[in-house]
Amino acid sequence: MKIIGIFIIALVLLSSCLRLDDNLYNVTDKIKEYKLDNYTGENDFVLDNSYFIHDSLIHLFDLSSRTPSESSSTTIKAIYIGSLSKIKTDTVIMYCHGNKWHMDFYWQRAKLLAHTAGKNHYGVLMIDYRGYGLSDGKATEEGLYADVDAALQWLKLNGLSDQRLVMYGFSMGTAPVCELTNKPISMTPAKFILEAPFASADVMANDGSGLNMPGSFFTNLKIDNAEEVKTISQPFCWIHGTNDNFLNIKTHGEVVYKNYNGSYKEAHRVDGADHGEIPLKMGFDNYLNTLSTFIRK
Amino acid sequence: MMHFRNLKIEQIKTTWFKKSISILFVCIVFQNCAPTRFVKPLAKKENAIAANLGGPLIHFGKAVTPIPFTSIMYGRGLTNSTTAFGSVHLTALLFGNIQTDLGVCQQLYKNDSLKFGITINPAINMVYDKWNKNFRAWPQLDANVYKDILKQKAFVYVGLTNWFEFSSTRAHGEPQTNHALINPHVGMSYNTKKWGYTFECKFLQMNKKNVPNVVDYVGINQHGAVGVYLNFVRRF
Repeated sequence: MKIIGIFIIALVLLSSCLRLDDNLYNVTDKIKEYKLDNYTGENDFVLDNSYFIHDSLIHLFDLSSRTPSESSSTTIKAIYIGSLSKIKTDTVIMYCHGNKWHMDFYWQRAKLLAHTAGKNHYGVLMIDYRGYGLSDGKATEEGLYADVDAALQWLKLNGLSDQRLVMYGFSMGTAPVCELTNKPISMTPAKFILEAPFASADVMANDGSGLNMPGSFFTNLKIDNAEEVKTISQPFCWIHGTNDNFLNIKTHGEVVYKNYNGSYKEAHRVDGADHGEIPLKMGFDNYLNTLSTFIRK
Repeated sequence: MMHFRNLKIEQIKTTWFKKSISILFVCIVFQNCAPTRFVKPLAKKENAIAANLGGPLIHFGKAVTPIPFTSIMYGRGLTNSTTAFGSVHLTALLFGNIQTDLGVCQQLYKNDSLKFGITINPAINMVYDKWNKNFRAWPQLDANVYKDILKQKAFVYVGLTNWFEFSSTRAHGEPQTNHALINPHVGMSYNTKKWGYTFECKFLQMNKKNVPNVVDYVGINQHGAVGVYLNFVRRF
Protein backbone atom coordinates (compact mmCIF):
# COMPACT_ATOMS: atom_id res chain seq x y z
CA MET A 1 0.00 0.00 0.00
CA LYS A 2 2.89 2.32 0.82
CA ILE A 3 4.40 1.81 -2.61
CA ILE A 4 1.05 2.48 -4.27
CA GLY A 5 0.65 5.65 -2.21
CA ILE A 6 4.11 6.91 -3.18
CA PHE A 7 3.37 6.06 -6.80
CA ILE A 8 0.12 8.05 -6.80
CA ILE A 9 1.77 11.07 -5.15
CA ALA A 10 4.61 10.92 -7.69
CA LEU A 11 2.09 10.90 -10.53
CA VAL A 12 0.30 13.94 -9.21
CA LEU A 13 3.59 15.79 -8.74
CA LEU A 14 4.84 14.82 -12.15
CA SER A 15 1.65 15.76 -13.92
CA SER A 16 2.16 19.01 -15.73
CA CYS A 17 -0.09 21.83 -16.76
CA LEU A 18 -0.11 21.49 -20.53
CA ARG A 19 -3.50 22.67 -21.75
CA LEU A 20 -4.76 23.28 -25.24
CA ASP A 21 -6.74 26.44 -24.47
CA ASP A 22 -4.46 28.79 -26.39
CA ASN A 23 -4.70 26.72 -29.54
CA LEU A 24 -8.28 27.87 -29.95
CA TYR A 25 -7.04 31.30 -30.88
CA ASN A 26 -5.51 31.38 -34.32
CA VAL A 27 -3.62 34.67 -34.40
CA THR A 28 -0.70 33.56 -36.53
CA ASP A 29 -1.19 36.02 -39.42
CA LYS A 30 0.38 39.28 -38.27
CA ILE A 31 -0.60 42.52 -39.99
CA LYS A 32 0.68 46.09 -39.74
CA GLU A 33 -2.47 47.80 -40.93
CA TYR A 34 -6.04 46.95 -41.89
CA LYS A 35 -6.43 46.83 -45.67
CA LEU A 36 -10.09 45.82 -45.88
CA ASP A 37 -10.98 45.94 -49.62
CA ASN A 38 -7.28 45.98 -50.52
CA TYR A 39 -6.57 42.87 -48.49
CA THR A 40 -5.20 40.22 -50.84
CA GLY A 41 -4.62 37.41 -48.36
CA GLU A 42 -6.64 34.24 -48.00
CA ASN A 43 -10.40 34.70 -47.99
CA ASP A 44 -13.49 32.51 -48.01
CA PHE A 45 -14.99 34.68 -50.73
CA VAL A 46 -14.54 38.13 -52.25
CA LEU A 47 -17.55 40.29 -53.05
CA ASP A 48 -17.83 42.17 -56.31
CA ASN A 49 -18.10 45.93 -56.73
CA SER A 50 -21.85 46.00 -56.20
CA TYR A 51 -21.07 45.50 -52.52
CA PHE A 52 -18.79 48.52 -52.37
CA ILE A 53 -19.12 50.54 -49.17
CA HIS A 54 -18.16 54.18 -49.34
CA ASP A 55 -15.23 55.19 -47.15
CA SER A 56 -17.41 57.68 -45.29
CA LEU A 57 -19.42 54.76 -43.93
CA ILE A 58 -16.42 52.78 -42.69
CA HIS A 59 -15.16 53.79 -39.26
CA LEU A 60 -12.07 52.22 -37.76
CA PHE A 61 -11.51 53.09 -34.11
CA ASP A 62 -10.13 51.93 -30.76
CA LEU A 63 -12.03 50.58 -27.80
CA SER A 64 -10.89 49.98 -24.25
CA SER A 65 -11.71 46.62 -22.79
CA ARG A 66 -11.17 45.26 -19.32
CA THR A 67 -11.99 41.86 -17.91
CA PRO A 68 -13.24 41.59 -14.31
CA SER A 69 -9.87 40.22 -13.21
CA GLU A 70 -7.75 42.92 -14.88
CA SER A 71 -6.54 46.12 -13.27
CA SER A 72 -5.86 47.93 -16.55
CA SER A 73 -7.61 48.15 -19.90
CA THR A 74 -6.61 46.60 -23.20
CA THR A 75 -6.95 48.54 -26.44
CA ILE A 76 -8.80 46.67 -29.15
CA LYS A 77 -9.69 47.64 -32.72
CA ALA A 78 -13.21 47.98 -34.05
CA ILE A 79 -14.86 48.75 -37.37
CA TYR A 80 -18.32 50.20 -37.67
CA ILE A 81 -19.99 50.05 -41.08
CA GLY A 82 -22.74 52.62 -41.44
CA SER A 83 -23.58 56.15 -40.42
CA LEU A 84 -22.61 56.84 -36.82
CA SER A 85 -25.40 59.38 -36.47
CA LYS A 86 -28.00 56.70 -37.30
CA ILE A 87 -27.05 54.38 -34.45
CA LYS A 88 -29.68 56.22 -32.40
CA THR A 89 -32.37 54.98 -34.78
CA ASP A 90 -30.97 52.05 -36.79
CA THR A 91 -30.86 48.38 -36.05
CA VAL A 92 -27.24 47.28 -35.57
CA ILE A 93 -25.73 43.86 -36.09
CA MET A 94 -22.92 43.10 -33.68
CA TYR A 95 -20.78 40.67 -35.68
CA CYS A 96 -18.52 38.37 -33.64
CA HIS A 97 -16.02 36.77 -35.97
CA GLY A 98 -14.42 33.35 -35.81
CA ASN A 99 -11.08 32.25 -34.41
CA LYS A 100 -8.94 33.13 -37.38
CA TRP A 101 -6.46 35.98 -37.80
CA HIS A 102 -8.11 39.42 -38.01
CA MET A 103 -10.85 41.66 -39.34
CA ASP A 104 -9.26 41.80 -42.81
CA PHE A 105 -10.10 38.12 -43.18
CA TYR A 106 -13.68 38.73 -42.07
CA TRP A 107 -14.10 42.04 -43.88
CA GLN A 108 -16.02 40.48 -46.78
CA ARG A 109 -18.44 38.86 -44.34
CA ALA A 110 -19.01 42.09 -42.44
CA LYS A 111 -19.47 43.98 -45.70
CA LEU A 112 -21.99 41.39 -46.84
CA LEU A 113 -23.91 41.81 -43.57
CA ALA A 114 -23.98 45.56 -44.21
CA HIS A 115 -26.23 44.71 -47.18
CA THR A 116 -28.87 42.97 -45.08
CA ALA A 117 -32.24 44.40 -46.17
CA GLY A 118 -30.38 46.71 -48.55
CA LYS A 119 -27.07 48.54 -48.69
CA ASN A 120 -26.27 50.04 -45.28
CA HIS A 121 -29.81 49.50 -44.11
CA TYR A 122 -28.45 48.17 -40.82
CA GLY A 123 -25.23 49.16 -39.12
CA VAL A 124 -22.60 46.48 -38.55
CA LEU A 125 -20.00 46.51 -35.78
CA MET A 126 -17.06 44.12 -35.81
CA ILE A 127 -14.05 43.98 -33.48
CA ASP A 128 -10.75 42.20 -33.34
CA TYR A 129 -10.66 40.46 -29.98
CA ARG A 130 -7.55 41.08 -27.90
CA GLY A 131 -4.54 39.38 -29.51
CA TYR A 132 -6.21 39.41 -32.92
CA GLY A 133 -5.19 41.72 -35.78
CA LEU A 134 -3.98 45.05 -34.39
CA SER A 135 -5.70 44.70 -31.06
CA ASP A 136 -3.39 44.63 -28.05
CA GLY A 137 -3.17 41.88 -25.47
CA LYS A 138 -3.43 38.12 -25.51
CA ALA A 139 -6.52 36.19 -26.50
CA THR A 140 -8.39 34.55 -23.63
CA GLU A 141 -11.92 33.31 -23.12
CA GLU A 142 -12.58 35.97 -20.49
CA GLY A 143 -11.13 38.55 -22.88
CA LEU A 144 -13.52 37.49 -25.65
CA TYR A 145 -16.52 38.34 -23.53
CA ALA A 146 -15.03 41.57 -22.18
CA ASP A 147 -14.07 42.76 -25.67
CA VAL A 148 -17.51 42.15 -27.15
CA ASP A 149 -19.08 43.82 -24.16
CA ALA A 150 -16.77 46.82 -24.69
CA ALA A 151 -18.18 47.03 -28.23
CA LEU A 152 -21.74 46.88 -26.86
CA GLN A 153 -20.91 49.65 -24.39
CA TRP A 154 -19.76 51.79 -27.32
CA LEU A 155 -23.02 51.11 -29.18
CA LYS A 156 -25.03 51.99 -26.12
CA LEU A 157 -23.05 55.19 -25.67
CA ASN A 158 -23.89 56.08 -29.26
CA GLY A 159 -27.58 55.65 -28.68
CA LEU A 160 -28.39 52.04 -29.52
CA SER A 161 -31.24 50.49 -27.56
CA ASP A 162 -31.55 46.81 -26.66
CA GLN A 163 -34.55 46.45 -28.98
CA ARG A 164 -32.41 47.33 -32.00
CA LEU A 165 -29.41 45.14 -31.22
CA VAL A 166 -28.93 41.86 -33.09
CA MET A 167 -25.97 39.68 -32.13
CA TYR A 168 -24.41 37.55 -34.87
CA GLY A 169 -21.75 34.95 -34.09
CA PHE A 170 -19.74 32.83 -36.48
CA SER A 171 -17.95 29.71 -35.20
CA MET A 172 -15.87 30.76 -32.16
CA GLY A 173 -17.76 34.06 -32.24
CA THR A 174 -20.88 32.18 -31.19
CA ALA A 175 -19.33 31.89 -27.69
CA PRO A 176 -19.48 35.61 -26.80
CA VAL A 177 -22.90 35.85 -28.45
CA CYS A 178 -24.35 33.08 -26.30
CA GLU A 179 -22.54 34.26 -23.17
CA LEU A 180 -23.61 37.89 -23.47
CA THR A 181 -27.14 37.04 -24.58
CA ASN A 182 -27.55 34.65 -21.68
CA LYS A 183 -25.78 36.84 -19.14
CA PRO A 184 -26.00 40.38 -20.50
CA ILE A 185 -23.65 42.99 -19.10
CA SER A 186 -24.00 46.27 -20.97
CA MET A 187 -26.78 45.46 -23.42
CA THR A 188 -29.38 42.75 -23.96
CA PRO A 189 -29.80 41.84 -27.62
CA ALA A 190 -33.27 41.59 -29.13
CA LYS A 191 -32.34 38.64 -31.34
CA PHE A 192 -29.34 36.47 -32.02
CA ILE A 193 -27.97 34.55 -34.98
CA LEU A 194 -25.49 31.68 -34.77
CA GLU A 195 -23.63 30.58 -37.88
CA ALA A 196 -21.86 27.21 -37.52
CA PRO A 197 -21.91 27.27 -33.70
CA PHE A 198 -19.50 25.40 -31.46
CA ALA A 199 -21.42 23.29 -28.90
CA SER A 200 -18.74 22.71 -26.25
CA ALA A 201 -15.28 21.29 -25.61
CA ASP A 202 -17.00 18.11 -24.41
CA VAL A 203 -18.51 17.61 -27.87
CA MET A 204 -15.09 18.19 -29.41
CA ALA A 205 -13.62 15.50 -27.16
CA ASN A 206 -16.55 13.13 -27.77
CA ASP A 207 -16.29 13.53 -31.53
CA GLY A 208 -12.56 13.02 -31.59
CA SER A 209 -12.46 9.99 -29.31
CA GLY A 210 -15.75 8.27 -30.07
CA LEU A 211 -16.12 7.93 -26.30
CA ASN A 212 -17.94 9.91 -23.65
CA MET A 213 -14.71 11.72 -22.84
CA PRO A 214 -14.90 15.11 -21.10
CA GLY A 215 -13.27 18.15 -22.68
CA SER A 216 -11.60 18.87 -19.35
CA PHE A 217 -9.04 16.16 -20.16
CA PHE A 218 -7.50 18.68 -22.58
CA THR A 219 -8.73 22.18 -22.02
CA ASN A 220 -9.95 24.54 -19.35
CA LEU A 221 -12.15 26.43 -21.81
CA LYS A 222 -15.60 26.94 -20.37
CA ILE A 223 -17.31 27.71 -23.68
CA ASP A 224 -20.53 25.75 -23.52
CA ASN A 225 -23.04 27.14 -26.01
CA ALA A 226 -25.14 23.98 -25.84
CA GLU A 227 -25.91 24.61 -22.17
CA GLU A 228 -25.87 28.39 -22.32
CA VAL A 229 -28.54 28.49 -25.03
CA LYS A 230 -31.00 26.64 -22.79
CA THR A 231 -31.73 29.75 -20.78
CA ILE A 232 -31.84 32.27 -23.61
CA SER A 233 -35.31 33.47 -24.55
CA GLN A 234 -34.67 35.90 -27.43
CA PRO A 235 -35.55 34.81 -31.00
CA PHE A 236 -32.84 32.63 -32.48
CA CYS A 237 -31.73 31.98 -36.05
CA TRP A 238 -29.37 29.05 -36.63
CA ILE A 239 -27.44 28.50 -39.86
CA HIS A 240 -25.13 25.53 -40.38
CA GLY A 241 -23.55 23.76 -43.35
CA THR A 242 -24.47 20.10 -43.74
CA ASN A 243 -20.90 19.34 -44.76
CA ASP A 244 -19.19 21.22 -41.95
CA ASN A 245 -15.91 19.37 -41.52
CA PHE A 246 -14.86 21.39 -38.52
CA LEU A 247 -17.96 21.73 -36.37
CA ASN A 248 -20.20 18.82 -37.27
CA ILE A 249 -23.77 19.96 -37.86
CA LYS A 250 -25.18 16.96 -36.04
CA THR A 251 -23.02 16.95 -32.92
CA HIS A 252 -22.56 20.72 -32.57
CA GLY A 253 -25.22 22.73 -34.42
CA GLU A 254 -28.22 20.45 -33.98
CA VAL A 255 -27.56 20.13 -30.25
CA VAL A 256 -27.39 23.91 -29.79
CA TYR A 257 -30.56 24.33 -31.83
CA LYS A 258 -32.40 21.57 -29.97
CA ASN A 259 -31.39 22.91 -26.55
CA TYR A 260 -32.83 26.34 -27.23
CA ASN A 261 -36.20 26.71 -25.46
CA GLY A 262 -36.89 30.37 -26.08
CA SER A 263 -39.64 32.30 -27.80
CA TYR A 264 -38.81 31.60 -31.45
CA LYS A 265 -36.25 29.67 -33.44
CA GLU A 266 -35.56 28.93 -37.06
CA ALA A 267 -33.03 26.60 -38.66
CA HIS A 268 -31.24 26.83 -41.99
CA ARG A 269 -29.28 23.72 -42.89
CA VAL A 270 -27.22 24.65 -45.91
CA ASP A 271 -26.76 21.71 -48.28
CA GLY A 272 -23.15 20.83 -48.98
CA ALA A 273 -21.68 23.84 -47.19
CA ASP A 274 -18.43 23.39 -45.26
CA HIS A 275 -17.51 25.52 -42.27
CA GLY A 276 -16.65 28.75 -44.05
CA GLU A 277 -18.92 28.31 -47.05
CA ILE A 278 -22.38 29.22 -45.84
CA PRO A 279 -22.89 32.62 -47.52
CA LEU A 280 -21.39 31.26 -50.73
CA LYS A 281 -23.38 28.01 -50.81
CA MET A 282 -26.62 29.70 -49.81
CA GLY A 283 -26.08 32.39 -52.41
CA PHE A 284 -25.61 35.93 -51.18
CA ASP A 285 -29.18 36.97 -52.07
CA ASN A 286 -30.67 34.04 -50.24
CA TYR A 287 -28.34 34.52 -47.27
CA LEU A 288 -29.22 38.21 -46.93
CA ASN A 289 -32.93 37.59 -47.43
CA THR A 290 -32.85 34.94 -44.71
CA LEU A 291 -31.22 37.36 -42.29
CA SER A 292 -33.44 40.32 -43.11
CA THR A 293 -36.59 38.22 -42.83
CA PHE A 294 -35.50 37.00 -39.41
CA ILE A 295 -34.49 40.45 -38.17
CA ARG A 296 -37.72 42.05 -39.39
CA LYS A 297 -39.96 39.30 -38.03
CA MET B 1 -34.83 47.05 -52.41
CA MET B 2 -31.41 46.19 -53.75
CA HIS B 3 -30.91 43.31 -56.14
CA PHE B 4 -27.66 41.43 -56.13
CA ARG B 5 -27.68 39.36 -59.26
CA ASN B 6 -24.91 38.24 -61.59
CA LEU B 7 -22.37 38.35 -58.83
CA LYS B 8 -18.75 37.80 -59.65
CA ILE B 9 -17.48 35.60 -56.92
CA GLU B 10 -13.92 34.68 -56.27
CA GLN B 11 -13.72 31.84 -53.87
CA ILE B 12 -10.44 30.72 -52.51
CA LYS B 13 -11.12 27.48 -50.76
CA THR B 14 -9.45 27.37 -47.42
CA THR B 15 -8.86 24.47 -45.16
CA TRP B 16 -6.32 26.24 -43.03
CA PHE B 17 -8.91 27.24 -40.50
CA LYS B 18 -9.80 23.66 -39.88
CA LYS B 19 -6.24 22.41 -39.83
CA SER B 20 -5.01 25.06 -37.47
CA ILE B 21 -7.52 24.20 -34.82
CA SER B 22 -7.14 20.49 -35.47
CA ILE B 23 -3.99 20.77 -33.41
CA LEU B 24 -6.22 21.58 -30.48
CA PHE B 25 -7.70 18.16 -30.31
CA VAL B 26 -5.06 15.90 -31.73
CA CYS B 27 -4.58 14.33 -28.35
CA ILE B 28 -8.13 13.32 -27.74
CA VAL B 29 -7.70 9.77 -28.78
CA PHE B 30 -6.38 8.32 -25.57
CA GLN B 31 -7.57 4.88 -26.49
CA ASN B 32 -5.19 4.90 -29.41
CA CYS B 33 -2.08 5.75 -27.50
CA ALA B 34 -0.49 2.36 -26.95
CA PRO B 35 0.17 -0.92 -28.74
CA THR B 36 -0.96 -4.28 -27.39
CA ARG B 37 0.70 -4.65 -24.02
CA PHE B 38 1.61 -8.33 -24.22
CA VAL B 39 1.08 -10.63 -27.19
CA LYS B 40 2.87 -13.49 -25.47
CA PRO B 41 2.85 -13.89 -21.70
CA LEU B 42 6.06 -13.71 -19.70
CA ALA B 43 7.45 -16.74 -17.94
CA LYS B 44 6.42 -17.22 -14.32
CA LYS B 45 8.08 -14.59 -12.05
CA GLU B 46 9.66 -12.90 -15.04
CA ASN B 47 9.41 -9.10 -15.05
CA ALA B 48 9.36 -6.61 -17.88
CA ILE B 49 9.33 -2.88 -18.28
CA ALA B 50 8.40 -1.29 -21.57
CA ALA B 51 8.20 2.10 -23.22
CA ASN B 52 6.28 2.83 -26.36
CA LEU B 53 5.89 5.69 -28.76
CA GLY B 54 3.37 6.24 -31.51
CA GLY B 55 -0.23 6.93 -32.31
CA PRO B 56 -2.70 7.58 -35.08
CA LEU B 57 -1.41 9.16 -38.26
CA ILE B 58 -2.70 12.61 -39.03
CA HIS B 59 -2.30 15.04 -41.90
CA PHE B 60 -0.31 17.96 -40.54
CA GLY B 61 0.15 20.60 -43.21
CA LYS B 62 1.40 18.64 -46.20
CA ALA B 63 3.00 15.96 -44.09
CA VAL B 64 1.68 12.81 -42.49
CA THR B 65 2.84 12.22 -38.95
CA PRO B 66 1.85 10.00 -36.01
CA ILE B 67 0.58 11.71 -32.89
CA PRO B 68 3.45 11.00 -30.49
CA PHE B 69 1.77 9.27 -27.59
CA THR B 70 4.08 7.70 -25.05
CA SER B 71 3.53 5.39 -22.14
CA ILE B 72 5.54 3.16 -19.85
CA MET B 73 4.49 -0.22 -18.57
CA TYR B 74 5.44 -2.84 -16.04
CA GLY B 75 4.48 -6.49 -16.34
CA ARG B 76 5.08 -9.62 -14.28
CA GLY B 77 4.49 -13.25 -15.09
CA LEU B 78 2.07 -14.65 -12.53
CA THR B 79 2.22 -18.08 -14.15
CA ASN B 80 3.67 -19.25 -17.43
CA SER B 81 0.38 -18.44 -19.13
CA THR B 82 -0.77 -15.34 -17.20
CA THR B 83 0.98 -11.98 -17.04
CA ALA B 84 -0.30 -8.98 -15.13
CA PHE B 85 0.53 -5.47 -16.28
CA GLY B 86 -0.01 -1.85 -15.45
CA SER B 87 0.97 1.32 -17.26
CA VAL B 88 1.26 5.08 -16.98
CA HIS B 89 0.45 7.23 -20.00
CA LEU B 90 3.01 10.02 -20.13
CA THR B 91 1.30 12.14 -22.77
CA ALA B 92 -1.87 12.20 -20.70
CA LEU B 93 0.23 13.16 -17.68
CA LEU B 94 1.49 16.24 -19.54
CA PHE B 95 -2.13 17.40 -19.65
CA GLY B 96 -2.64 16.88 -15.97
CA ASN B 97 -4.50 13.61 -16.50
CA ILE B 98 -3.53 10.46 -14.71
CA GLN B 99 -4.19 7.59 -17.07
CA THR B 100 -3.41 3.96 -16.50
CA ASP B 101 -4.43 0.65 -17.93
CA LEU B 102 -4.39 -2.41 -15.72
CA GLY B 103 -4.91 -5.90 -17.03
CA VAL B 104 -3.62 -9.37 -17.71
CA CYS B 105 -2.37 -11.27 -20.71
CA GLN B 106 -3.83 -14.76 -20.75
CA GLN B 107 -2.61 -17.56 -23.00
CA LEU B 108 -5.70 -19.32 -24.36
CA TYR B 109 -4.08 -21.72 -26.78
CA LYS B 110 -0.57 -22.71 -27.73
CA ASN B 111 0.62 -25.14 -30.37
CA ASP B 112 4.32 -25.86 -29.96
CA SER B 113 4.68 -27.89 -33.13
CA LEU B 114 3.03 -25.27 -35.34
CA LYS B 115 4.62 -22.49 -33.26
CA PHE B 116 1.55 -20.34 -32.86
CA GLY B 117 -0.75 -19.32 -30.08
CA ILE B 118 -3.77 -17.28 -29.07
CA THR B 119 -3.85 -14.78 -26.22
CA ILE B 120 -6.26 -12.22 -24.81
CA ASN B 121 -5.60 -9.07 -22.79
CA PRO B 122 -8.60 -7.98 -20.72
CA ALA B 123 -7.84 -4.59 -19.15
CA ILE B 124 -9.41 -1.53 -17.67
CA ASN B 125 -8.37 1.95 -18.79
CA MET B 126 -8.82 4.70 -16.25
CA VAL B 127 -8.31 8.45 -16.61
CA TYR B 128 -8.58 11.08 -13.90
CA ASP B 129 -8.11 14.76 -14.59
CA LYS B 130 -6.78 16.91 -11.81
CA TRP B 131 -8.48 20.04 -13.17
CA ASN B 132 -12.14 19.14 -12.91
CA LYS B 133 -11.78 15.87 -11.02
CA ASN B 134 -13.43 14.03 -13.89
CA PHE B 135 -12.93 10.29 -13.89
CA ARG B 136 -13.63 7.86 -16.70
CA ALA B 137 -13.01 4.14 -17.08
CA TRP B 138 -13.28 2.04 -20.20
CA PRO B 139 -12.91 -1.74 -20.41
CA GLN B 140 -10.59 -3.04 -23.09
CA LEU B 141 -10.17 -6.49 -24.57
CA ASP B 142 -7.30 -7.32 -26.90
CA ALA B 143 -7.15 -10.65 -28.69
CA ASN B 144 -4.12 -11.85 -30.63
CA VAL B 145 -2.96 -14.74 -32.75
CA TYR B 146 0.80 -15.01 -33.09
CA LYS B 147 3.17 -17.12 -35.09
CA ASP B 148 6.83 -17.63 -34.19
CA ILE B 149 9.36 -17.00 -36.94
CA LEU B 150 13.15 -16.77 -37.26
CA LYS B 151 13.77 -19.70 -34.93
CA GLN B 152 11.55 -18.13 -32.27
CA LYS B 153 13.65 -14.95 -32.17
CA ALA B 154 10.69 -13.10 -33.57
CA PHE B 155 6.99 -13.46 -34.02
CA VAL B 156 4.30 -11.86 -36.12
CA TYR B 157 0.79 -11.33 -34.89
CA VAL B 158 -2.66 -10.15 -35.86
CA GLY B 159 -5.40 -9.18 -33.48
CA LEU B 160 -8.12 -6.85 -32.34
CA THR B 161 -7.98 -4.09 -29.76
CA ASN B 162 -11.48 -3.40 -28.50
CA TRP B 163 -12.59 -0.54 -26.31
CA PHE B 164 -16.06 -0.47 -24.82
CA GLU B 165 -18.14 2.57 -23.89
CA PHE B 166 -20.89 1.61 -21.46
CA SER B 167 -22.29 5.11 -21.07
CA SER B 168 -25.66 5.48 -22.78
CA THR B 169 -25.20 9.23 -23.21
CA ARG B 170 -22.52 11.58 -24.41
CA ALA B 171 -22.09 15.32 -23.91
CA HIS B 172 -25.31 17.28 -23.22
CA GLY B 173 -27.31 14.10 -22.70
CA GLU B 174 -27.19 13.12 -26.35
CA PRO B 175 -27.36 9.37 -27.01
CA GLN B 176 -24.07 7.51 -27.23
CA THR B 177 -24.54 5.33 -30.27
CA ASN B 178 -21.04 3.91 -30.46
CA HIS B 179 -20.38 1.35 -27.74
CA ALA B 180 -17.52 -0.68 -29.17
CA LEU B 181 -14.40 0.68 -30.77
CA ILE B 182 -12.86 -2.14 -32.73
CA ASN B 183 -9.26 -1.71 -33.80
CA PRO B 184 -7.61 -4.49 -35.83
CA HIS B 185 -3.84 -4.56 -35.77
CA VAL B 186 -0.83 -6.41 -37.15
CA GLY B 187 2.64 -6.41 -35.70
CA MET B 188 6.05 -7.93 -35.56
CA SER B 189 8.25 -8.40 -32.54
CA TYR B 190 11.96 -9.21 -32.48
CA ASN B 191 13.44 -10.46 -29.23
CA THR B 192 16.89 -10.98 -27.83
CA LYS B 193 17.51 -12.60 -24.47
CA LYS B 194 16.75 -9.42 -22.54
CA TRP B 195 15.26 -7.00 -25.03
CA GLY B 196 12.21 -6.94 -27.26
CA TYR B 197 11.43 -4.57 -30.13
CA THR B 198 7.95 -4.39 -31.56
CA PHE B 199 6.41 -2.55 -34.46
CA GLU B 200 2.64 -2.49 -34.58
CA CYS B 201 0.21 -1.00 -37.05
CA LYS B 202 -3.43 -0.51 -36.04
CA PHE B 203 -6.53 0.47 -37.93
CA LEU B 204 -8.16 2.57 -35.24
CA GLN B 205 -11.90 3.05 -34.84
CA MET B 206 -12.58 1.28 -38.11
CA ASN B 207 -16.34 1.36 -37.44
CA LYS B 208 -16.39 5.15 -37.15
CA LYS B 209 -16.46 7.66 -39.99
CA ASN B 210 -13.55 10.05 -39.72
CA VAL B 211 -15.22 12.92 -41.55
CA PRO B 212 -16.37 15.33 -40.46
CA ASN B 213 -13.98 15.47 -37.55
CA VAL B 214 -11.75 17.98 -35.89
CA VAL B 215 -8.69 15.87 -36.55
CA ASP B 216 -7.44 15.11 -40.05
CA TYR B 217 -6.81 11.42 -39.51
CA VAL B 218 -5.21 9.24 -42.16
CA GLY B 219 -7.90 6.61 -42.47
CA ILE B 220 -9.16 4.09 -44.97
CA ASN B 221 -12.20 4.89 -47.05
CA GLN B 222 -13.04 7.82 -44.73
CA HIS B 223 -13.18 5.54 -41.72
CA GLY B 224 -10.97 5.35 -38.64
CA ALA B 225 -7.29 6.18 -38.54
CA VAL B 226 -4.11 4.25 -39.21
CA GLY B 227 -1.78 4.19 -36.21
CA VAL B 228 1.84 3.12 -35.96
CA TYR B 229 3.68 2.23 -32.74
CA LEU B 230 7.12 1.25 -31.55
CA ASN B 231 7.52 -0.66 -28.33
CA PHE B 232 10.73 -1.40 -26.45
CA VAL B 233 10.75 -4.04 -23.71
CA ARG B 234 13.42 -4.97 -21.20
CA ARG B 235 12.91 -8.27 -19.42
CA PHE B 236 14.53 -9.22 -16.15
